[in-house]
Order: sequence, then structure tokens, then C-alpha cells
Amino acid sequence: MKVSLKWLKDYIDIAITPQELADKLTLAGVPVENIVETGEEIKKVITGRIEKIEPNPNSEHLLVCTMFIGTEDRVVIQTGADNVRVGQVVPVAMVGAHLPGGRKISKGKLRGIVSCGMLCSAPELALPTENMTAEELDGIYILPSDTPIGVDIKTVLGLDDVIFEFELTSNRGDCFSVLGLVREIAAIVGGKIKYPNINFTEKAEKIQDFCQVQNDVPELCSRFALRMMTDVQVNTSPAWIQDRLQSAGIVPVNNIVDITNFVMLEMGQPLHAYDYDKLTAGDLLVRMAKEGEELVTLDDKKRVLSANDIVISSEGQAVGLAGIMGGKNSEISATTKRIVLEAGSFVGANIRRSAAHRLGMGTEASGRFEKGIDIVNIPQALERAVQLIEETKSGVPLQGMLDIYPQEKKLEQLTCQVAEINRVLGTDISGLKMQRILLGLGFNVRLAEETLHIVVPSWRNDVHHLEDIVEEVARIYGFDNIASTMPYGITLQGTQPEWQTFADKVKQIMCAAGLSETISFSFTNADTFDKLNIPEDDKLRQAIPIMNPLTDEYPLVRTNMLGSILENVQRNFARKNEDIQLFEVGTVFLPESLPVTKQPLEKREVVAAIAGKREALNWTSEKANVDFYDMKGLAETLLEELGITRYNVNSGRHWAMHPGKTATFTKGKEVICTIGEIHPATMQAYGLNKPVYLFTADLDILQKYAAKKLKAEELPKYPGIQRDLALLLDVDCLAGDVMREISKQGGKYLAQVHLFDIYSGKQIAAGKKSMAFNLLFQALDKTLTDTEIEKQMQKIVSSLESKFQAELR
Amino acid sequence: MKEKLQDIQKTALEAIKKATTVAALNEVRVAYLGKKGSLTTILRSMGQVSPEERPVIGKLVNAVRNDLETSIASKQEQLQQAELLHRLETEKIDVTLPGRSKKLGQLHPLTQTLNKIKDIFRNMGYSIAEGPQVETDYFNFEALNLPKDHPARDMQDSFYITSDILLRTQTSPVQARTMQAHNANEPIRIIAPGRVYRRDDYDATHSPMFTQVEGLCIDKNINFADLKGTLLFAMQELFGKNVKLRFRPSFFPFTEPSAEVDISCVMCHGKGCRVCKNTGWLEILGAGIVHPNVLRMSGYDPEKVSGFAFGMGVERIAMLTYGVSDLRLFFDNDVRFLQQFHL
Repeated sequence: MKVSLKWLKDYIDIAITPQELADKLTLAGVPVENIVETGEEIKKVITGRIEKIEPNPNSEHLLVCTMFIGTEDRVVIQTGADNVRVGQVVPVAMVGAHLPGGRKISKGKLRGIVSCGMLCSAPELALPTENMTAEELDGIYILPSDTPIGVDIKTVLGLDDVIFEFELTSNRGDCFSVLGLVREIAAIVGGKIKYPNINFTEKAEKIQDFCQVQNDVPELCSRFALRMMTDVQVNTSPAWIQDRLQSAGIVPVNNIVDITNFVMLEMGQPLHAYDYDKLTAGDLLVRMAKEGEELVTLDDKKRVLSANDIVISSEGQAVGLAGIMGGKNSEISATTKRIVLEAGSFVGANIRRSAAHRLGMGTEASGRFEKGIDIVNIPQALERAVQLIEETKSGVPLQGMLDIYPQEKKLEQLTCQVAEINRVLGTDISGLKMQRILLGLGFNVRLAEETLHIVVPSWRNDVHHLEDIVEEVARIYGFDNIASTMPYGITLQGTQPEWQTFADKVKQIMCAAGLSETISFSFTNADTFDKLNIPEDDKLRQAIPIMNPLTDEYPLVRTNMLGSILENVQRNFARKNEDIQLFEVGTVFLPESLPVTKQPLEKREVVAAIAGKREALNWTSEKANVDFYDMKGLAETLLEELGITRYNVNSGRHWAMHPGKTATFTKGKEVICTIGEIHPATMQAYGLNKPVYLFTADLDILQKYAAKKLKAEELPKYPGIQRDLALLLDVDCLAGDVMREISKQGGKYLAQVHLFDIYSGKQIAAGKKSMAFNLLFQALDKTLTDTEIEKQMQKIVSSLESKFQAELR
Repeated sequence: MKEKLQDIQKTALEAIKKATTVAALNEVRVAYLGKKGSLTTILRSMGQVSPEERPVIGKLVNAVRNDLETSIASKQEQLQQAELLHRLETEKIDVTLPGRSKKLGQLHPLTQTLNKIKDIFRNMGYSIAEGPQVETDYFNFEALNLPKDHPARDMQDSFYITSDILLRTQTSPVQARTMQAHNANEPIRIIAPGRVYRRDDYDATHSPMFTQVEGLCIDKNINFADLKGTLLFAMQELFGKNVKLRFRPSFFPFTEPSAEVDISCVMCHGKGCRVCKNTGWLEILGAGIVHPNVLRMSGYDPEKVSGFAFGMGVERIAMLTYGVSDLRLFFDNDVRFLQQFHL
């Protein structure tokens, strides 16, 4: 809501600076978001009268104007505009003037003749131009002929004002008006409110003789009042009304519409004016719209209504969308002679559903109804409009008002203990002080025996309970004046869910292993499923659609995290960050079925992606790129650090991974994690120029198998014995199988098996490969003898010979 | 015999003196004291010496041997010292060559910021609570005193899944969930960190997904002053002991009185700068006294207990902490950005 300082000052004296006022209001719960000084950019522009106009002999377009600017010296200024006439008063930008947009005026010579300034058009002064014709826009801005000469244009045009932009909270419907804000200023800053004095003379004819009114929906329309005026002359409204509207950002239309808008801004009550002679009959009915009923609203749009919208109708014909916008069919026009003025009170929730949600047409009026208006003030608002129309000689009021107000509002009464208010705030404010604060806000308060007996004013629809009073007291007393203490109570232990501790551990391990953490949006799209190669019938394609997505890019909630991490990889590759080691711990959302009927399963996953060089470029490092075994090593490190042991690793399948370069780590039938090289199709789909190695695991499964306790092992007191074992094996023979067999046959003293060399090529027969293992035998209670070891080694070798046709080298 | 010994002693001492390396010295020792050394040879020939002379010559031989051994030992130490010095002088590497480093990964700046916040509140006895990201309308709105058609719902444009299920717009639903999981009126101190979603355009200060920390403290006689004290402590832990707080009255349906909380600008310390738009203050938190309706709806009795609640945006705090001017960098995941946030 925008309000000008001048308008506020019509009702209350303000002695402090605009900034001080804004700060005080903001700290008392009436937030000022911005202060704009109108005409701030305009300097040294004054009014001047054209005394003489001569053509510039060297130009066909330029006119040389001699200007009277209130001093003895005349100023010569040339202009290219052709709407200038002798005797006109116009804005004169003097040499050294500043204009909006940072333009500066200097002395110049045009076609041989000196020009000492510039005559200004409306756009050059950044004046509102909504109602101007093309000629008016192009021409010099012509001021009324009685405008004083030599005066600052800002004073003349009211550009010396300050506009406050309020960012009001939705509970304070009462503040969405100038008088509402003035009430707050009076309570917060002090000062006496000068309410407008409403009086007018009614004709003898009575409104009842012209209009009837009926309300079929009293539960949605709690008050509906009409006044009528005749002898209406539709015209432009006086400048002061236009100025006020423009300062609030509302475009002037004509005197009748402008006055209804003026009163809405001034008092907060939306009003509507109908052309009486355009109504089918003089009677107005408030009713629900018929499903599919049509109405062209004032903005020239055809609205198809639903049975939940309220309309005002005349003889079965809808003439307005109640509380939102009037109908085109009863619009005020130049020929309007008689008008009906309406002021109503409509239930906010219903207006909100119609205006904001279904029809998408929030208006100044609907916004006010949504937040709640002062139902008691409805007759005054109508009278104020009548007064202004009469005052401006735009119409004559008929006698009386039609007013359907079945259930008169009962002012809310509250009883609050002073101690209770202090208890909630942690303060020691006296009852008297509280009473003063509330009286200042327009509450009626009686203080007796440390109890406040309060009557809530009609405009405060937000005050019903003790806590509302607490808030009123606190905001005027000042939050800054309340002490800062620490809660006094029993001590509680700060704990955290186990999975979070576990997730923290996984993150730490990943970081220690050199991977950086990413955080991605939980959104995805169907394209991603294609890119990831997810089979058509896979449940992971059953992602939850968002009803109102922000963009086409993210219409779904993600079901897996590989898409997220690959998007990060892709973005980094596109920026030539091609050596990347990333991981993410996040949530995926798996619905039981689609369409969704209940909340989905939220599963936590950890994914990782590595690509590019194994080590940063250095004189000492190998320059090789990472491969499958880097990722496998990462998985092994993670599992080891989590204390997950005795798992199996087998070649596996994953839609996003190369079928020949995928491994699953399993415990029994459960997959603990899957690693692999990105599937060539996925790699191409993401436009990646080198392979990425992927890791994916379910965090809960990892947690299930992670060691709960760490138990220290004793260090061996006796030396271990190492043996090397070099074997010739079939080229297809799997290292894992061989190592498993070695471990199996190695006996209880075999502590470690390391594969330290693989070789094929020269000296090795075709179809064969050589593998070399280092075995460590270790006993905790004795020094092992060679004989013991030899026995075990023979057992290993003979088993490998028979199972894998291994030959000792 | 005696002369011969003296002769050997003289030439041996000469040779020891001349030796310039440990190896050469060793040769000298072998030549005189070794198995076939000249002194050893003399010792072997002691049999030929008359019995009267034997003790005298024997004594002399031992004296010469001791002398030589001492000389060799001291010379050896001298030479070893010299050789070490020489080695230390000649053995040199280019210490300015880059080292072989093991690169560590980094926790995301949002994670680091969140961890800091969690630590601060856990130290004050707050537990970490959680709830689902896909939430019901009931917990996200209604249990927080935001009935359907409440105009304040416009404050948070939501991503809906069905008319009744949505991506949570705040972690506040954890408030209601936590209260409902407790026995009525049991004291509570929790913070609920997590991702939340709002239908905001993606720009330098808004994101459709962001991270929020909601806090709730319920006990007997919890008041607004306690809220102020708690947040002052937390913000000073986060931003430094000189940080000041400013509470502005505001409106949230789930608290009353409600406040928006500013910290004194961490960039200019209140003098006014671009970051604080010359106000000297930065909006950082929303907070207030828990609305009695919220307590009642989750089975707590506002006559018996009271509480405060607060909420803060982790992105905003991280932006201020690290001087990040565009929120989108957090979700962009450019490694050059991520790697700046050392553990």
C-alpha cells in the first residue's frame, strides 16, 4: 500500500522526518518498505509564461520563445514542439536543471540562436501520462493559465511529496487505508486525528422510490448498503483528487469512479458505482452466481462464473462480481445521469477463492475484503462519497440509504489480567501503561484491580484473544524495551536422530576420500529417466508430479539421485571443470502408487561421481585418469570406515552403468551399494566427453550393516611371516574368486592377502595371465614355524590348481 | 725391539694423521692392528723375547696399541664428522617444488553452516527433530493455525501434489509433529532443520528449494524475553559477540506476538552498506510466542505451558557468513565454488 505524506498530513500533524516516521512505524508493526521522494530527480525547473514566439530563420521546426519567469530578465528558449502559444504557462528547465533519468540542461546554440534552457513535456518530467493523447505526450506540458510564475514546478505539480510504501501484514486489514494508518501514527507517534467532516444536503426524493435491495446470501454478505444520486455529471475529477489517487498508484478515470476509489483509499471501504439507467430494474439482488453464468467485467474480460461466486444482479442479470469488480453492463460513462453507490461486506474467504484462486483477478477491492473491512463504517463511507460528489458538483443525493444489515456487529469484549500479559512478555509493565497504549489504539479500556476490561474497536477484526492484546501492548511498548533473558526450566539433552549422525559420518568419510559435497534440487523430469536409461516399466519412473510446477524443467519430484549428480557433472564439464569428485547425500521420494493418495516413502541415498584426472596435475604425479578401480577403492574405503565387512562383490546390472563394468556389493541378497562406469548411452545423453564412474547406495541399508560398536584388536606380539605366491591362471579367471579361495584355504593364521601384480604378455602364454599375491600369516600366541606355513601354502596351491588350473610360476 | 716398536708407533701415527677418509683410516688400522698388522706380528713374536725383557716389551706393545687405537678412534670420529658435514653440504633438494598432496573433499557450505547452527542449539539442550518433506496440508498449515482460505497462505506459494499433500513450505510442521509425539505439556526444545519448497522464481535471493531451521522451546513460563535472549546468544555465536539484534513486530499465524528479527549488518557493522541497503540491519529470522491455538491443536494446554518458536534460512546465513552474493551458487555445485569451503 502506497500513501503520500501530504495525504497523511491532511488528517494529522507530523513533525518528524519521513525516515523517522518510517522507522517508528516499522518498529511498531506497521512496516514501511520504502520511502520515495517524488520529483527527487527534478531540480531548477520553474513555471514560466510564453511572451513571444518567433520562428528560427535557420530552421523549419524550431521556435524561439521568449519566456517570462517572474524576474525582469527574460529567457530565450527554443523548442521543437508545435503546441506552444503566447500566454501559456509551461514548465521551464533552466540552465543547470536536472530532469528525471539523470538528464542535465546546459546552455546551447541551436541553428545559430542561443537557447538558455528547455520547455518540458510530461514524459520529460516523468509525470503520469495514462490519460494523455499522443499530441499531449509529444507537446510541451501546458499548465493552467492561473498558475503562479517563477515557482518551482515540484510545488505546482505536487512533486514535493514523499510516498511511503507499506509492506503491511495480512492480519491488519484496518491499515489498508489512509485513515487506518493515521490511527496507527496517532498511537505510535502521537497527535490528534482530524477526521473529515461529512455533511451534504439530500433531495426530498427518497432512494426507496427508485431502488429495492435483497440479500439472498446473508452468510456471505453480512452487510449491503446503497445510496443514490441524480443530476450526475461525469467529468474528470479535480486535480487534488487525481493527485491523491496517483500518489497511491491508482489511475484516475472519471469523477465518480475516482471518488469511489478515493474513499476506498481513505477509509478502507471498497465502493462501487452503477449507472442506474443501465440497470434492467432499480432493484439489486445479492445472490450466488449460476454455474456457467457469464459476466463481462469492467476490464472488458468475459468471466465464466461458478456457483461459488457472489454476484450483484438486477432483474436476473448479473451487473457485478461482488467485492471484486463491477460489470461492464452498468459502467459509469459520459452520459450517466443517475448512479447507485454500493458499499458491502463480503466474507473474505469466499472472495479469496473467487478472486485470487479461481478467476485470477485480485483487485484493490477484493484484497481489502480478504483481509476484512470495518463493517460498522459502511454508512460513513457511502456518505463520504456522496459528500465528495456533491461538493465537486458532480451529483445530488437522494434522501436516505438502503441498508441490509441483518446481524449487527457486536463489539468484542475481553478481560485480561495485567499479570498474564507481563508473564507472556517477561516484562513488568503497569496496568495504567497498558491501558494508555490500548486507548491510543482506539480500544475502550477500563482498568480495575489489575484487570483490563477491553472493548475492541470495530475495525480491529484481528483482535479476539489475550494473545492479541499481548501483541498490541508489546508492539507499542516496543520490543526493544523488553529484556533478553534465558529460559528457566528443566535441563534437556540435545540429541539427534541416529541416521543424521550416520549421514554426517558418511559425509566425513567421503570428504576425507577427496570428494566434495553437492546439494541439488529435489526436482526432476521425465527426460532424465530416458537419459539415465531407466527401463520403461521401472518403478523409478513413477515420480510424483507437482500440480503447479514452476517451469517445465522440474515438473516431478525425484526418485533417484543419479540424475541430480549427473546434472552437476554435466554443468561442471560444460565449464571445463573436468576433474571432479563429487558426492551427495539426499532424499528421494517414492510414491506407493500414482496418482498419489498419501505421503510417499522418503528414502535417503548417497551417490558419488568421479571423472577426469586421478590427481591434480603435478610434477610428481601420474597423469592417468580415474577408472573403475578408483571408484571401487572408494566404495571399499567407505565400507571399511563404516565397519561393514564380509560382503560379496560381483559383476552386476544397473541401468545407468556399462553392463561390463558394473559391480554390486551385497550382503546375502541385499545390495549394499552399486558402482560402475557410466553407460555409454547415458554418457552421450548428458553430452559428457569422458567416462564418469558412479556410486549409489541406500543410506538406511548402509546404516543397517554398519558396525554399531568399534572394538580394538590386540596387537600381535609375535612376528608374522610373509609369503609370495605367483600363479599362472586363465585370462578369464576372476581375481575375487581366487582371493576368496586363498582366504578359505589359508587357515586361521592367514591374516592378509594382497594382490600386488597382474601381468599378461611377454613370457606368458596366450590366454593366460599371471597374478602375484602376498600373504601374511600371523598368530597372536606364538611365533609360527616355516613348517606350519608350508603346510598351509601347499593346501592353498593344490586347491588353486584343482579349482582354477593354476600353475605356480 | 723397543726401537722397532717406537718406529711402528711413529709411522702408524703418521699414517693415521694422513688418512682423509674413514676407508683409508680403516686400512691403516688393518695394516697395524689387523690380524696381519705389524703390531700384531710383533705381539706374535714375543716368544723370542727373553723372559726378563718380556714384561717390559709387553707393556710397551700394549701402550703402543692403546695409543694407536685411541688415535684411530678419535681420527675416525673426526673423519665421520667431516664426512657428515660434507654430506649435509652437498645433499640438497629443491624445497620449492610443489609437494605431493592428498586432496581432501569439502562439505557443502550449507552443510557447514547448518552444522554450526545445530551445534549452537544442541549445546543449549535442543534436540534435532525431523519430519517429511512431502507433507500434509494439515501439518504444514492447519496445525499451525493456518486454516484453508487464510490470506496468510499467500505468503508462501506452495508446490501442491494433491489438494491435500504438498512439498512443505517450512519446517514448522515438525513443531506440531513433535508436540503430538510427546505427552501433553512435556517440555520441548528442538530445532528442525531441513529442505523446504516455495514456488518462488529462481534468482539471486530466492530459490524454489531452500534450507530452513525451525526452533521450538516449550516449558512452563517461557516468555518473549527468553526468546530474545536465546536468539541473541545464538546469533552472537554465529556472527560474533558484537552482533546486535532488532525485533520488529510482524505477523505469522502460528505465533503471537510475532517478530521479524534483524541482526546488525555483519558487513558494515551497522554503518550502512550495499548489503544492508544502507539500513544497518539484515533480516535473518522470524520468531514469536507460540500461538495458543497451535499448542491446543497438538494437545498442549496454553494455560499450563507456553513457548517460543523461530525460523531461519540457512542460505541467507551462509551468504552472510561467507560473503556469497548469489544464492544460486549453492545449488550450482561448481567445483571451483565448492572447493573454497575448507573443512
